[in-house]
Amino acid sequence: MKKTTITYGLAASALVIVVAWGLLAASLIPLWAAETAIVIAFPVLVLFLALWWRAPGGEEDIPFIGY
Amino acid sequence: MIEYLVFAAAFGLLLLGLHRKVIARVQMRPGPPVWQEILHALKFSFKSTWVPKTASSLLYVGVVLIGIGIWSAALFVVLAGESILILFAIYMLHKIVEHGFGLSSGSPYGKFGGVRSVISAASEIPLFVTIAAIYFFTDSLLLRDIIAYQAIHGPLLLIAPPAAIAMYIVILSKLPYGPFSIVESKELVSGYKTEHFGVWRAGISVIDGLKTFVLLFAFVAIFIGAVPFSLALVIMTVVLVSLSFVCAVTPMLSPFDSVTVQGIVTLLMVGYAGVLWWVMP
Repeated sequence: MKKTTITYGLAASALVIVVAWGLLAASLIPLWAAETAIVIAFPVLVLFLALWWRAPGGEEDIPFIGY
Repeated sequence: MIEYLVFAAAFGLLLLGLHRKVIARVQMRPGPPVWQEILHALKFSFKSTWVPKTASSLLYVGVVLIGIGIWSAALFVVLAGESILILFAIYMLHKIVEHGFGLSSGSPYGKFGGVRSVISAASEIPLFVTIAAIYFFTDSLLLRDIIAYQAIHGPLLLIAPPAAIAMYIVILSKLPYGPFSIVESKELVSGYKTEHFGVWRAGISVIDGLKTFVLLFAFVAIFIGAVPFSLALVIMTVVLVSLSFVCAVTPMLSPFDSVTVQGIVTLLMVGYAGVLWWVMP
């Protein structure tokens, strides 16, 4: 996956979380709506954050599939 | 709210580190530092990462996202005092996720881990459901109602100890290095996790941290009741240390024996629920 795609994904997930938190703090959305947004965005944030700062290199390989 | 998720994942990983430490000390080994699992999660997230050629890319990556998502949802369910039926449903989804992990990579080790996950689901899920026997006392499966019941009548740990034992065994089944840890046993390298490395494994660490926190927190809420948050963390730690002792002195069972033992406990619990149904007004 390209670095720019990862950066966009990371920014989008962070934005969703910040917006959901802000709207909840302003009482514009109910708690369940904010929680739903965070449940969807948090996994994306975790993976994209790690993909963003991971070490470069490596290419797809075949795992050991038995003798 | 994201602060709850970050705290729960970090504290859950800390508990898993403590788990390894206690097992090591019981077995007369120095063991890793308590924060080792947090270091593992960070270390894996910095490694170079790709998708194996034999993997189904969508499933391979998707299960990590779904795994973090369902346990994030489970944390919110427990914190909001919602129905423990939702917790059962998430537990069932987790078994499907484990299976997905195993099948997605194309490795036989992962595949066997996934198959064992299905085998263990046959006994773990009914075992988890048997804690619904507490419905006979509380007339509700909403966590907030269960907590309110305990505020009046005392902890369900004392009122319905067999149900507490059932959930204790469920948590024991989900801990690594335990007698029922057949899905990631050493003869399968790391079981269903074998071919998920680097960033994907860091994601699995977050899943494990959240899962450990949610199950132990739910145990405290269901069987002890409303306690200050700091005291809940202490009780969770005490419960985990007791589980670590069990893991340290018990060999891992074969898949057949694991399911048989869990099945027998489930049958005993069903008998207990039947007696409750018969005698309760």
